[in-house]
Amino acid sequence: MAHLAHYKEAHPLPFVITHWINLVCMVCLIITGFYIHYPLFGGFMGACRGLHICCGIIITINCIVRLILAFVVKSAPTAGTRSVVRDYKTWLPQQNNKHQLGAWIKYYLFAQKDHPLGAKLGVPQKLSYLLIPIILLFMAWTGFALWIPTSSWGISQFLIGAWGVMTIRIVHYFCMFVFIIFMCIHIYLANIEGLAPTKLMFLRKEAPGLVYDPEKRNVVGFDGLGEEPSYGEAPSKRDLDAEGVKC
Amino acid sequence: MAVQVAENSRLAQIMESRGISRRSFLGYCAGIAAMIGLSEAAAPEVAKALDSIIYVGAEDAPHALTPVIWMEGSSCTGCTESFAQVDTPDAGSVVLELISLNYCETLSAAAGHSMEDARLHTIEREKGKYILVYEGSVVEGWEGNALRVAGEKGTDLLLETAASAAAVVAFGSCACDGGWQAARPNPSHACGVQKFLQKNQVNVPVINIPCCPGNPEWLVAVLVEVILMGRIPELNDKNEPKLMFDQTIHDNCPRRGHFENGEFVYQFGSIEEEKGYCLYALGCKGPQTFTNCPIVKWNRRVSFCIESGAPCAGCGVINPMNPAMNWVDENTPFLARHRFFSFFGNPVDPALIAGVVTGVVVAALAVHGIGMKLTKRTDGGADFETIRKYDKIHETPNAAEYAAAADKLYDELDAQGLEERKANHRKGGDK
Repeated sequence: MAHLAHYKEAHPLPFVITHWINLVCMVCLIITGFYIHYPLFGGFMGACRGLHICCGIIITINCIVRLILAFVVKSAPTAGTRSVVRDYKTWLPQQNNKHQLGAWIKYYLFAQKDHPLGAKLGVPQKLSYLLIPIILLFMAWTGFALWIPTSSWGISQFLIGAWGVMTIRIVHYFCMFVFIIFMCIHIYLANIEGLAPTKLMFLRKEAPGLVYDPEKRNVVGFDGLGEEPSYGEAPSKRDLDAEGVKC
Repeated sequence: MAVQVAENSRLAQIMESRGISRRSFLGYCAGIAAMIGLSEAAAPEVAKALDSIIYVGAEDAPHALTPVIWMEGSSCTGCTESFAQVDTPDAGSVVLELISLNYCETLSAAAGHSMEDARLHTIEREKGKYILVYEGSVVEGWEGNALRVAGEKGTDLLLETAASAAAVVAFGSCACDGGWQAARPNPSHACGVQKFLQKNQVNVPVINIPCCPGNPEWLVAVLVEVILMGRIPELNDKNEPKLMFDQTIHDNCPRRGHFENGEFVYQFGSIEEEKGYCLYALGCKGPQTFTNCPIVKWNRRVSFCIESGAPCAGCGVINPMNPAMNWVDENTPFLARHRFFSFFGNPVDPALIAGVVTGVVVAALAVHGIGMKLTKRTDGGADFETIRKYDKIHETPNAAEYAAAADKLYDELDAQGLEERKANHRKGGDK
């Protein structure tokens, strides 16, 4: 079961766009990065470097824009509701999933049969999503320290003075694997219980499912979205942020 | 004017007596002009400046020669050798021979007290006018007693001489940051001149000229700029002259085209080496070494390491304020591409670790996926818990009421065929 309805409010359009940019840039960065590290065949070094630097700049700006948008755009605090709150609140500990780290780990290790009643993001998911922008900005820092036009910046020189260029290069390469591992787990967990989250995130395709009430913090009905008969309470469209409801 | 200088001056006479043509002298001047950031059209000015600093003992000499004291710390004397390379004297060696080198432990003919007197007289008479060239690292270990000269500690002599100098030129990597003598575990506590002087609050401009040994062309360019322009060259954050040390060897490398094409030498003696491919895969440190070696070249502008087939060892990498980051510790192994971190002194291959961890994660996810399939969670996940454990334990207001409603709802949805409640269909039902 655990089939909450997937509404567009979970991923507003600006975040769908930033997520697409993240995906395209990340794939390009990893492929070109591997080529720069292991140029097994010739002819593409200049193009790969150019693309790598271009994508690096885009993803850095995208990351900063996404962080700012978290304080501007509203999104649903959980799946199964059309209520919205400021997006940054869905990244912090919420009433909906406080004290649930243990429950999530147990669930994923098959030590707990029931799916935790959570928020939009599970606790391990939330922690890893908070880590990603930090690592991404760190990657940008090491990347700009390695790129000649920005290597003379004070912030780059600080890093070069502390580590030396070669260590920065190794660290930069090493951190790429953090993203690869993250992507493996991210893609796996997003799709293992059904493709609805992916369709919603990339194509904005809503899916029927259980309705969640952020005030009652429990499931209250079923929304068939016209495909199947609805049952119980309908999803709320209230703006929880305006009402100051704890989510 | 240049012609006049070259043809009529005393410098020109000296040049001629040593078999150097006016043309090659002016060519040399143009090279120096470029190195200190002037147009090649400034070659006549450079020639004039060179003429003015050459002291030939005549009363009508425009200026007395700028005095230079050359001191050695813990050095192999390779920088002096580099400076004094005189197989066939050319314009550079003439200029360098004829600066007033008042004190040089290796090259001066005098010895003993008369030498020390020469140094002391220079300090006394030319206060604030002379240039101190320092070669080798400053050894702070054993309270500076390792390098005693004339009964005095080497560190004290450096402080005394540097304090009254117009500028200090730290010549060679050892003088810049301790060089290979500061390599781990650095038992002699070697460091560079800049760090030592700053620590002892001697505020004299320090110009770092790296490499092992330092290139005499750079020294000439710095001396000319100091004397011609009357100023210290524009320095980068490592106190290196910007115009010489702000581009990497990689930027100007003659093998760069092969790098861009992905054509590398993976083994010495291979066909790729014969073809002159890029040496990066053999550990060339050109991309991280900021010097203009490919332009200035070495041994009288004949060639340089990479051109002659050796990967750059990165001897031009300096960290003046941090001797622990000397070029030897930073760049070894010289003939292998860097892939290792030093983790508490042990070499660690991060790429290997990352590859293994990634493999383990992917394998774990595959196994986990099988587990998810077997527990029937791949179709929307497991059933939701009706109440959070935290709410149950802490008896959160209304939570039990909402949980009961949800429990009832799940059964109703299951009965209507809208959402299957898996617990209801398990053998024996463990709802």
